Amino acid sequence: MNRILPALSVLVAVLATAIPWGLPADATFIPPMVVVMMIFCWRALPGTVFPLYLAFLLGLLTDLMSGGPLGFWALMALIAADIGGRARSLNDSQDRNRLWLVWAGVAAAVGALSWLLGSLYLVHWLDVWPIAFGTLVSILIFPVILRGLVLLKGGWPKPKFHRGWT
Amino acid sequence: MRGGHSPFKPRPRRSWRAPGELLNFTLYFLCAVLLVLSRIGHGAVGETRDGFVELTAPLLETASRPVIMARHAAARVRSYIASFDEIDRLKAENEKLKQWEWRAKLAERNVAHLRSLLNAVDEPALHFATGSVIADARGPFLRSALINLGRDQGVRVGYAVINGDGLVGRTVDAGDSVARILLLSDLNSRIPVVVGHAGVRALASGDNSAELKLEFLPDGAPVKPGDEVFTSGSDGVLPRGLAVGVVTGSPGALRVRPHADLRALDAVSVLFFDTPTLTRTDPPVFTPDRALSASSGDAEIPATGPSASVEPRPADTRIKQAGASRATSAEGVVQAQQ
Repeated sequence: MNRILPALSVLVAVLATAIPWGLPADATFIPPMVVVMMIFCWRALPGTVFPLYLAFLLGLLTDLMSGGPLGFWALMALIAADIGGRARSLNDSQDRNRLWLVWAGVAAAVGALSWLLGSLYLVHWLDVWPIAFGTLVSILIFPVILRGLVLLKGGWPKPKFHRGWT
Repeated sequence: MRGGHSPFKPRPRRSWRAPGELLNFTLYFLCAVLLVLSRIGHGAVGETRDGFVELTAPLLETASRPVIMARHAAARVRSYIASFDEIDRLKAENEKLKQWEWRAKLAERNVAHLRSLLNAVDEPALHFATGSVIADARGPFLRSALINLGRDQGVRVGYAVINGDGLVGRTVDAGDSVARILLLSDLNSRIPVVVGHAGVRALASGDNSAELKLEFLPDGAPVKPGDEVFTSGSDGVLPRGLAVGVVTGSPGALRVRPHADLRALDAVSVLFFDTPTLTRTDPPVFTPDRALSASSGDAEIPATGPSASVEPRPADTRIKQAGASRATSAEGVVQAQQ
């Protein structure tokens, strides 16, 4: 289940990026950022299996769904997965806050890279506001998404030093 | 390091040639390659995307249905809440429209009289097919949407797409059962328009924001906020006279607010419009039997390329007629164009 659940949940999120929600023009960056965030979370959560190639494939799927250039969201998903995979030691609530901080950094980096890459791709400086807004919203909703994914997974694993205490 | 100060796991020192590192590098490299292929518009990228869109269209359509229904329900609730104000507004608007109706009928009679005096040729009729938006493909790069109409319904690349409010965009990809619309607000969208009563020509360009830029306006052009903007048809791709939006902003920084709500599209119509110029430049199509008859001395010249309105379509195609009312048959349309 720890193998299928993460992939399945992100797949649903990828599908949701293509659904006509009627979002305003400034909010179009939010759904794919949620996909990237979920990949980051699954990679950071201990006890789950979410290989890098899966992050790449789901990012590529987001590209295909969005009609944008192939490889763009795949790259963002890879970056988030790579950094998320290195933060697996986070278990308790204090570490969850630290994880939030790490995501803030990752989201800022992904947002900045998106703007730069998008501008280079289109040979036109893109409007910063929708990307900045999407990044900010993704940072704000991170605890909610993380909480949801943890619940989906069945809770946080108990730290090792608790074993045998009860 | 576990439970330590750094949120990162210590990484064991190893060569980048380790399988994990190599896979990592390969995936990043693949992303770069795909981005370059997309930028240069490699055919394989387009074909893959088209195939994928065709494959997932039924799934997207099913997944979108509850969301669209929920949006309709929310809109209904909103209109119900504001119903009293709306009734007052509609009453006032109705009074105003009654006056306009009288003026329009008078103008219609005058126009018909002047056209008969000038022996003017009727505008070609516009056929259209109506479908619905099944996927919203918007992001930092583009503003587009997928609709459940494709080549099977007669849709081709470059056709104008409208809804009840005005122009929405044009088709840029057409599969068998789905087509992608490039919305007016997309960065790559350029629509030649005429502005206001003076008919000033300009270009309405998208920049991924909610409003369009109004470019190439002549110096001192009598354009002011509130002027209506229509397609000029000078690009030979879009029909003339489609409502685009209304001018907003201040002089020097004029923009166009589209009439159509591009963020919440639902039902849209694709106009089957092929310009006579374009169809005439098409090379003649010789079927094998006609080619034989031509070589045997038969001087029959095949007809020029078919216009969209006379293209064969499946019997179940949801096609209706719009525009000039006189040309009720496909043949009538051809005569008008020639």
